[in-house]
Amino acid sequence: MIDINYILPELFISISLMFILLIGVFKKNSSLLVYNLTMISLFILIILLINLRSLPSNSFFGSSYLIDELSNYMKTITVASGIFVLLTSSKYIKSINIFKIEYPVLILSSMLGMMVMISSNDLIVFYMGLELQSLALYVLASFNRENLLSSESGLKYFVLSALSSGILLYGCSLVYGFSGSTNFNLIADNIINTENGLTFGIVFILVGLAFKISAVPFHMWAPDVYEGSPTSVTIFFAILPKIAALTVIIRFLYVPFLNVIEQWQMIIIFLSIASMIFGAVAAIGQNNLKRLVAYSSIGHMGYALAGISTGSNQGIQSSIIYISIYLIMNVAFFSCLFMLRRNDKYFEKIEDLSGISKNHPILSLCFLITLFSLAGIPPLAGFFAKFYIFLAVIEKQMYFLAIIGLLSTVIAAFYYLRIIKIMYFDDAKQKYDVDHHLGLKLSLIISTIIILLYFMYPGSLVEIINKINLI
Amino acid sequence: MIIHSIFFFIFSFIAIVSAVMVTASKNTVHSVFFLILDFVSISCLFIMIGAEFLGMMMLIVYVGAVAVLFLFVVMMLNVTQQKNEWFASSSSSSHIPMGLLISIIIFFEIIVVIAGWKYKTEVVNSFPLGINLDVTNTHSIGYVLYTDYIHVFQISGMILLTAMIGAIVLTFRQRTGIKRQSYLKQISRERNESIELKEVESKKGVKIDV
Repeated sequence: MIDINYILPELFISISLMFILLIGVFKKNSSLLVYNLTMISLFILIILLINLRSLPSNSFFGSSYLIDELSNYMKTITVASGIFVLLTSSKYIKSINIFKIEYPVLILSSMLGMMVMISSNDLIVFYMGLELQSLALYVLASFNRENLLSSESGLKYFVLSALSSGILLYGCSLVYGFSGSTNFNLIADNIINTENGLTFGIVFILVGLAFKISAVPFHMWAPDVYEGSPTSVTIFFAILPKIAALTVIIRFLYVPFLNVIEQWQMIIIFLSIASMIFGAVAAIGQNNLKRLVAYSSIGHMGYALAGISTGSNQGIQSSIIYISIYLIMNVAFFSCLFMLRRNDKYFEKIEDLSGISKNHPILSLCFLITLFSLAGIPPLAGFFAKFYIFLAVIEKQMYFLAIIGLLSTVIAAFYYLRIIKIMYFDDAKQKYDVDHHLGLKLSLIISTIIILLYFMYPGSLVEIINKINLI
Repeated sequence: MIIHSIFFFIFSFIAIVSAVMVTASKNTVHSVFFLILDFVSISCLFIMIGAEFLGMMMLIVYVGAVAVLFLFVVMMLNVTQQKNEWFASSSSSSHIPMGLLISIIIFFEIIVVIAGWKYKTEVVNSFPLGINLDVTNTHSIGYVLYTDYIHVFQISGMILLTAMIGAIVLTFRQRTGIKRQSYLKQISRERNESIELKEVESKKGVKIDV
């Protein structure tokens, strides 16, 4: 018999999803109610997840579903960033007329998929979770269907994602064929090191996963989709699927295939180096902030993959710290972006930032801190994130990777600093509106304070993450 | 097992040729016909390796639903242009012979797969998968679907729900200015609300439509 406490978060999110949907359908004009109920259910969810930490790790359904420290932590930050997404974007989605009941419901169902992915210990369960989260994301990307760019981005994401899912499934079938099981633990027992077909399987599955975290060379969709979809969906895209996909990559590589590390280590190193360099170089020419954040997220995923490529516990932990700090920085960045509003019109070009330090000193200070942190300048949180990664990489004597990482940090610093220069030294333009709602202000303040003061208590996060041991 | 391999090569040849023809043929309707042929051939291949449940599901889901849906979609696209092409000159209408050809091939395939039923291949147990070969596919799926794999089953239910919500979000348009019938309003109308007696003055009349 299953101890239902373990899967309570998943049960709760699915039941609240259906309940909220029914309320939305049967009650007229209930968009606001549905939105707030979703937020409340996410808060309850985070409490449930924190409660779960006291239980020992366990696996269910024939060990295809795993609840352990990794899954608990990743689910918690997924739900936390989901709360931030809803907090920041409520006014935005009202102003572009997509404030419908389906919007929060789709976000909830996508998060359910992510939670299933994070806990999966089986190829089938993992694939079901992946499909659930991306199906909701296709719709969210094209949610603003009056807008041509939004529809285009949804279609583009759908077609490319379906292709990558096909490749991933082919890889799954190869792995199943050569190991005789879809369960990660059983695969680990059954694999034969010299089997070439198995390597192909790993490569194909990694292609599908690299697509989800938009690592080079599977990044083509990211800039267009980020730019085209509504900004409230872009922030969702930039944070949540990456957490889930990164967890799956960690679990997939370190549970079944740890013994064949020489087969996949080079692939991950290549993905990491290519993403870091491309993310740094390609962002230079951008003048749309959403496109810029797409390239910057490609680069950041490169660093997170560098941690995974080490094959050590320290590497995994550094990647997890990296993704946690990355999500905070992205929340701060997008909160600033949501504040660039004048007469219910939102601005997203770099030149719209020109000289805002004169009119909005506090906003531009927060933006400055966020950008410095994204560039990795001490003593902000972004520096520590990169520091842990490089520490883990150098510990394993992978100096080449560390050097490339440092160089691309320097290149990437250029375009972050360029934005700061435009903000502080260019001519001021018209003022933006300042009547922001509480949620947006709150998330900007919280995320900026975390970025700013992380260096005072770095131990608290490290302590939680040190419990995550896969090897 | 020479007969078995002959059947295998026939089916796989047809499957590959029709898969190529899906992309190669210029007429979209023909592409869908070839797609159906491809699905049927692949389901025959499934039946030949003993996966009869998968083969039948292929037939029902892909041929029965997806391909016919494709056909409808294709026929709805560019209706006016295609209508002209189809009906303007009777010589250019090549749908009926093409459809006939493909249905003859499908008929032939089904004959072959039913006739070749007894030439089933022996399943080689290359891995200790613990498969009981005496139980049919359908039975063995039935044993585990609602027990060991209940979570996967439930998640696929959520996927279908999400797909339904998504389809509604993307296609549903609230149209304004439509006159809708409301039974409740009609029934609950009272006589005194709707009928009004007016004194008609002589030689002046009344204005009704105010």
